Amino acid sequence: MILQSAPAAPPTTAPPAPTFKRRRRKPTLHRTLSRVLIMLIVIVQVYPLAWLFLTSLRTEQDFATGDPFALPSSLTWENYARAFETGDLWRNILNSFIVTMGANILIVLLGMMAAYAIQVLGFRWSRFVRGLFLIGIIVPVQIALVPLFIDYASINLLDTYLSMIIPLAGFALPMSIYLFSSFFEYIPRETYEAASLDGAGPYRIFGLITLPLSVNTVVTVVLVNSIFIWNDFIFANTFVLSEELKTIPLGLQNYIGAMGKVDWTATFAAVCVTITPLLLVFLVLNKAMIQGLESGATKG
Amino acid sequence: MKKQFRAAAVIAAAALALTACGGGGDAADPANVSPTGEIKPREISWLLSRPADGAVINIMKKLADDYAQEHPGFELNLITTPDRPSYIQKLETLAAANKLPELFDTDATPFARQLAQQGKMVDAEKLLKSLEIYDDYRPGALDYQRFDDGSLFMIPFQFELEFIWYNKALLEEAGVSVPTSLDDIPAMCTALRNAGITPIAIDGQDQWPLERYVAYQAFREAGPEFVQKLKKGEASFADPAGQKTVEWMAELGKAKCFQDGFSAQGYSDAQNQFTSGQAAMYNIGTWELPSLATDKLNPEVRDDIDFFTLPTTEGSVTAANEFVSPSGIGMAVNSKTYDPLVSDFLKFALEKYPSEYAATGALSPTTNVQTSIPANATPLYNRALETANGLGDQQAMPWDTQLDPTTNGRLQQELVLLVQGNITPEQFTTTMDATIKQNAPKFFK
Amino acid sequence: MLPNRSKTSVLVFLLPPLLLYCAAVLFPILQSLFLSFFSWNGISEMEFVGFANYVRMLTADDIFWRSFFNALLYLAICLVLQLGGALVVASLLTSLRRGRELIKTLYLLPAVISTVAIAFLFVPIYSIEPVGLLNQLLHWIGLGNLERAWLSDVNTVLAAVSAPEGWRFTGLYMLIIYAALIAVPKELEEAAVLDGASKWTLFTKIRFPYIRPVWITTTIMATTYGLRGFDIPYLMTNGGPGQSSELLTTYMYKTAFTSTDFGYASTISVFIVIECLVAVGLILFLLKRKADA
Repeated sequence: MILQSAPAAPPTTAPPAPTFKRRRRKPTLHRTLSRVLIMLIVIVQVYPLAWLFLTSLRTEQDFATGDPFALPSSLTWENYARAFETGDLWRNILNSFIVTMGANILIVLLGMMAAYAIQVLGFRWSRFVRGLFLIGIIVPVQIALVPLFIDYASINLLDTYLSMIIPLAGFALPMSIYLFSSFFEYIPRETYEAASLDGAGPYRIFGLITLPLSVNTVVTVVLVNSIFIWNDFIFANTFVLSEELKTIPLGLQNYIGAMGKVDWTATFAAVCVTITPLLLVFLVLNKAMIQGLESGATKG
Repeated sequence: MKKQFRAAAVIAAAALALTACGGGGDAADPANVSPTGEIKPREISWLLSRPADGAVINIMKKLADDYAQEHPGFELNLITTPDRPSYIQKLETLAAANKLPELFDTDATPFARQLAQQGKMVDAEKLLKSLEIYDDYRPGALDYQRFDDGSLFMIPFQFELEFIWYNKALLEEAGVSVPTSLDDIPAMCTALRNAGITPIAIDGQDQWPLERYVAYQAFREAGPEFVQKLKKGEASFADPAGQKTVEWMAELGKAKCFQDGFSAQGYSDAQNQFTSGQAAMYNIGTWELPSLATDKLNPEVRDDIDFFTLPTTEGSVTAANEFVSPSGIGMAVNSKTYDPLVSDFLKFALEKYPSEYAATGALSPTTNVQTSIPANATPLYNRALETANGLGDQQAMPWDTQLDPTTNGRLQQELVLLVQGNITPEQFTTTMDATIKQNAPKFFK
Repeated sequence: MLPNRSKTSVLVFLLPPLLLYCAAVLFPILQSLFLSFFSWNGISEMEFVGFANYVRMLTADDIFWRSFFNALLYLAICLVLQLGGALVVASLLTSLRRGRELIKTLYLLPAVISTVAIAFLFVPIYSIEPVGLLNQLLHWIGLGNLERAWLSDVNTVLAAVSAPEGWRFTGLYMLIIYAALIAVPKELEEAAVLDGASKWTLFTKIRFPYIRPVWITTTIMATTYGLRGFDIPYLMTNGGPGQSSELLTTYMYKTAFTSTDFGYASTISVFIVIECLVAVGLILFLLKRKADA
């Protein structure tokens, strides 16, 4: 990111000792402690999810009268049947999928284009444009709600997929531009220059060099943004009205009945169903995402 | 750069001016309830806030299908947002965007009154009279939908009575009996607490249940007019009736009437506490009859559950048979899109609705049908329904349908603080009176 | 710059993203600025009121100030949990030889759960009647006197709603910091160890200075996300009890979409924009100055 300065020169107190021998690792108190600490923290991170899943298998009676944190006395899949009966979960998942894909396409494509223009092509105002995009990282999304609502109403965009996709993509665009431009920095100049000498114009270079090289960054950008977009509550809650367009977070609210009555066990079952797709993608691709994030972060 | 900004600002201004213009004007005559012309079937929408799988929606869907058989091309698109605060937000923002559908749900709120005054809603009294079904409705069901001036713009689809349900065994255990006066309740709570029993289970998360309590003392002390004056700033919490209410709420808090941490407990949590025999009392309406007066109720408490209606007080100006008897959120008809089709469909649906609705075991807003009691009902079910026949002329209005949205939001927040003992009755009075003074004029000019 | 690029090609690549960005971000900010000078409830006529909204916000609105300070405290708690937690876990992780990948994945898991589900999840955890997980834990470890209704107590509710937000994203920041820590040249550390540096000196004198640039980025990310906090307090307590967990964002949202006071809500929006710009400026100023010193 442009915010960073170069790493401060680390103080070197002694010449590097390449022959340094690794100390033999003993199970010292220190190491045991840190292991225990890590285990504890992992439990804190994972326990709520496990609890969520267990609760979705409890009977309603068991949940209402029993200790909510004890192991369920009997397991049932009935909550899942009820979850699918009450809400249109498939529809919600499909909608979340459409919105996530739509926004991601915009974020990746437009992010790459902007980064290409700023970083590779370059132009007189590029610093100013960079700064302009920075605002989008800084300001919270909520400030756009009122104006967007008014604008959508006047151009008939309320209650459409686009009404969610536009702000979700717009606010995620700056981060994507920065990730792409920091990646583009590492594509050697010579590659471009060689292509240019062969007579390739900016469009061909974009299509033949920049695009294919960016696959890893694309995976990172898509996964990180998917986490936020799949779970977006605020734009969907403000702009979407009809049942057919409700995304997962809104669909979950459907389990709140009249006067605030909630069918908890069915709700938890629904939650389990709706996080599954994202969880699967995440577990399959998490290596790529972690790598992308790590390299993005350290390259700056 | 500066130039670009100025240009952008100008565009912004223009866009806003355009939308602002769209907000007013173009309303049809709200009194014209029988439009003439040909019935052209099309898709119409009803924006509503009712449970997605509830009786009202199921019946109206079925009636709409029947109607579509005779009128191909007709379709009723039901858009429901059961969570009420979210629904109100949607309704208000859609109204601001001038995008209200043919039919929409609303309580008789100050916001709805503004819509009515701008001619955006069809006069429901005239409409029902022209369909010749006005006299079928329970007067109380219609009164609940009326604005303070007596005008009627919403049509009810339910009729409910709110009771205080109690657990006989727990009351006995604590050595207390059913309260004869509202003023007995704090002492009763103390006795129950001393016996280790949670006195009242309340859904604090949804806020309306606690707001019911603030209506009770004022309704007994000064009648339904108190809140009508209060919301306009013509009465205040500093008045005797207001002070009695505030003091009583503070006493409920001091006596620890509600379960610990009630403000974060939801609807089901509260109900579970009552039906599992942990809490002694629970204030809820007849819409919960299927879970409180049938064999669905936990067998361990089934024989101990009973209900009483809102107690009176000494010198009460309202009678024991007058309490909260809401007819639910009402349906308003958009005057801009009202045409022969909407009119004809409403005639078809409203005539057939009551009998279908009563067959589900619920109380119809009309008197021309008999509610069928479900086979698995306990004797309480019938007793609860019969209470509807002996109602008085006045009813206690829930305050959340009465106050302007800002005052209502603040009241809900401050009430929790008052009951939890975080603020004194004096602080509560000062804050609320100041809030009303600041916000009421915007809605009651 | 690419040698044979043309002005048109720059425009072709730059214009579409810029258009989307303007429509979604820049234009709404300008519109908010414009609306903030009006009184408008959506269905009435718009009325120009000059600076009246600003005067009301800064001088006569106790909820506004309350939410402002709440938002700062909320931010502070999130930062401590996210950055502090991330740094600790990342450091611990570097000392681990096996299972790093697994722990990284597990640690990142909460990020995939939606806020609506998180709110559903945490309300019973904090509950006292029936006893929730947190109170039960306190009871077991002998801290029974700390048991309370965390979401109803005006003194604890803000911390209670900040914790899930902090919890949710520590994994993300941990990954970034971990990557930076791994990149610290081993030779430097080992040389320092030979010189007899303690673990602490090793951290403050070698590791931390090396990761400072990444630290600045992470701090800015966490700060801007913290200032965006909305869903969890909105869904869990709706700002209550009273205004104890009201943030500027939730207050703005309610002012706009519950009170339909669009003009005043826009005024608060403008304040939020300024607040965020100032916060980021401040971070850059403080952390950079330290680096230069």
